[in-house]
Amino acid sequence: MSLPGLLLRQTRYALVGFRRNPRAMVLTVVMPIVLLVLFASVFTGKARTTRVDGLLISIDAYFTAGIAAYSIMLIGFSSLLISIVTAREGGLLKRYRGTPMPSGVFLAAQILQTMVTIAVMVTVLLAIGAIAYDVELDATAVFAFVVYVVVGTATMCALGLALSRVATNVDVASTIGPFIAVILAFISGVFVPVTELPQWLVDVGRVFPLAHLAEGLQRALTPAAQGSRIDAGNLAVLALWGVVAMAVAIRRFRWEPLAAGT
Amino acid sequence: MADAVITVQGLRKRYGQHEAVKGIDFTVDRGEVFGFLGTNGAGKTTTIEILEGYRSRTAGVVSVLGVDPARPTTAWRERIGLVLQESELDPLHTVRETVAMFACYYRHPRPVDDTIALVGLAEQRDARVGSLSGGQKRRVDVALGIVGDPDLVFLDEPTTGFDPQARRDAWNMIEGLRQLGKTIFLTTHYMDEAQHLADRLCILRDGLVVAQGTTSDLTSRANGGVVVRFRIPAGVSVDAVRAACDVEPEVSGTEITLKTDHPQRTLYTLTGWAEGQGVELEGLEVTRPTLDDVFLELNAGGQS
Repeated sequence: MSLPGLLLRQTRYALVGFRRNPRAMVLTVVMPIVLLVLFASVFTGKARTTRVDGLLISIDAYFTAGIAAYSIMLIGFSSLLISIVTAREGGLLKRYRGTPMPSGVFLAAQILQTMVTIAVMVTVLLAIGAIAYDVELDATAVFAFVVYVVVGTATMCALGLALSRVATNVDVASTIGPFIAVILAFISGVFVPVTELPQWLVDVGRVFPLAHLAEGLQRALTPAAQGSRIDAGNLAVLALWGVVAMAVAIRRFRWEPLAAGT
Repeated sequence: MADAVITVQGLRKRYGQHEAVKGIDFTVDRGEVFGFLGTNGAGKTTTIEILEGYRSRTAGVVSVLGVDPARPTTAWRERIGLVLQESELDPLHTVRETVAMFACYYRHPRPVDDTIALVGLAEQRDARVGSLSGGQKRRVDVALGIVGDPDLVFLDEPTTGFDPQARRDAWNMIEGLRQLGKTIFLTTHYMDEAQHLADRLCILRDGLVVAQGTTSDLTSRANGGVVVRFRIPAGVSVDAVRAACDVEPEVSGTEITLKTDHPQRTLYTLTGWAEGQGVELEGLEVTRPTLDDVFLELNAGGQS
């Protein structure tokens, strides 16, 4: 079988596994949708708008973009981290290494599966935003959105791979994966608009990539934003995290169970 | 030499201060089942992982199918099947999906359904791996190890945790693999398994080979040869029994144990005497030493 054919086959295999996994489905598909509906319902009444970089945006568009960022983190980072650590600790990665398959194929397929899932989820969230909450989607918004989704996905996947070295077993992975995402979501303008947060917490949040992904996606949905709505600052921080994480992942990745020792 | 599938000479492996393998030699011939035995910590896993290409070695010459496993190539991987110890599978895929996926990794795989039937899972073909019993999962492991149609199969403790019936079935399956002409490198904790399956054995202790040879070579090497046991007949003194034996008996209560290298002569003398006396030797039994006895003896040898 040719390498692209094999990659396709392995990706499809990973997608089948993902679709059949109730934990992954609840964590990465059901939860973001429920959260979007909840947040859009909670913040009703007088404050129907907030601000991104001083520009006015509807609270619904703000949450649609924020939850999209959160879901990219859950799928690209948390879920990828859990599947890689599960495969490694169960000896599956070691077993793959013992076959003639180039070992990169498994990881590439895992990342492709993540990308497909993110593409579907972001589309669903945007569709809900557009249909249920009148979020305005013009060409400029969609293009800027896609740019941020692509860079954000790459960064989150790299972080998932890098942290697989820290997560020594499946329990650790399935705890820190979602935990980091939730904590960051609170201080990155995903669950609470940044205008409602104390400045020091916003500053802490802006050290991490989720704040920049969320702000980028929110800016993409801000009608008052100028030009392409793509902010070099947001992209630079995201890309920097991605590059550093990738460098760590390449140097530190392990194929054999960490628990086994020598 | 021409027919050696694996040759190992002077193999050593050191982890920091600890030397796990201290210079071992053995060869595995084409088409045989080679049993590789040893207690935990004897260096078994280290050795097999070096042969499988997972681990580097400190010293020695190793050749597996003519290739140094320290530099594994794709072509070499095509010819080797691995059944690792304790490895999990994706629980959400079916048996067929899993085996079919692995078949894609090889250039000339065996037919998928055929392979599934060979390990006895034809009926569970469409069941998810997570729903299978431990023994059935291990069969999937074996199916993945042989779906590439390898020349050499490593079976690392293939039946650990099996119930007796599952082990019998697994043995039949392994004999089936041998009939396909595969060379099999088998490690196991069960001596009866090694005795049943292996053509030749290599026993490791503390990183050294302590015994090597065919199964019957090793069992006949056990001290004292055949064991004869019976109870002292009522009304007969120990001394009378002692006089009737051609070897010195071990007495424990009313039970007598004779260890003899000439079982036919010993039995003839003993039963002739009993018939002459008109007494019955209750609980009379004759046992050959099993591999278990050999193994325990070899391991006891170095403990003190």
